[in-house]
Amino acid sequence: MEGLVLNKDNVRLKVEAGNWEDAIRIGAGMLVEQGCAKQSYVDGIIAAVKELGPYIIISEGLAMPHTRPEQGAIGIGCSLITLKEPVLFDGDDSPVKVMICFSAVDSESHMDILKMIVEFVERGLIDDIAKAETYEELLEVIGAN
Amino acid sequence: MLQILTVCGAGLGSSFACQMSVDAVLKELGVEAKLDHTDISSVGGAKADIILSGKNFEKQFERYTLDCPTVFLDRLVDKKEIKEKLTPVLKELGAL
Repeated sequence: MEGLVLNKDNVRLKVEAGNWEDAIRIGAGMLVEQGCAKQSYVDGIIAAVKELGPYIIISEGLAMPHTRPEQGAIGIGCSLITLKEPVLFDGDDSPVKVMICFSAVDSESHMDILKMIVEFVERGLIDDIAKAETYEELLEVIGAN
Repeated sequence: MLQILTVCGAGLGSSFACQMSVDAVLKELGVEAKLDHTDISSVGGAKADIILSGKNFEKQFERYTLDCPTVFLDRLVDKKEIKEKLTPVLKELGAL
């Protein structure tokens, strides 16, 4: 895959999260650790999901937590986590196994991240991504090595 | 040219991803259109011939009076669903 936006530091596999909110705190918290977002961005995502419903679930098993840049995004960033136990969102009956969180600074410049996400869905990779035990296995699934 | 708008909560993630899938579907169908994405709070003043959004936003659309067809999707990047739901609308508008 060209222009891979994933690396060892922004991927965590088989994460244990008690519920969707926990999972977002972990995944979006990685954006904070990377210096791409402030804690307010994480809280903003959770508030937006509570207010607007699970609009971040874009395909079976996959959520892409994000919110408006003005909620505390510092730069473009992303993180991928897979969940040991899938989490359910209110208002959607599909358990989420893979979460790709991202921060954006405008409405266009994070296109590479979204292209990657859409490509994962179109190639039907979500289940296999969820099964990967190691970073190397993940790279193999997405065809990046 | 036909203008198609995709809409989600933040206006830059789900709607942008949806726009990419719509773009792919339109290419398959051989329909030319100008695509853009925005957030639900801006949709009132938006100009478009067709609007696509997630099912979970259907209720919030009720507060806007829109004079264009609106398509609600279960899955925003499901090309099969987009094609199924968009094709009749495109036919109705004479774009297909």
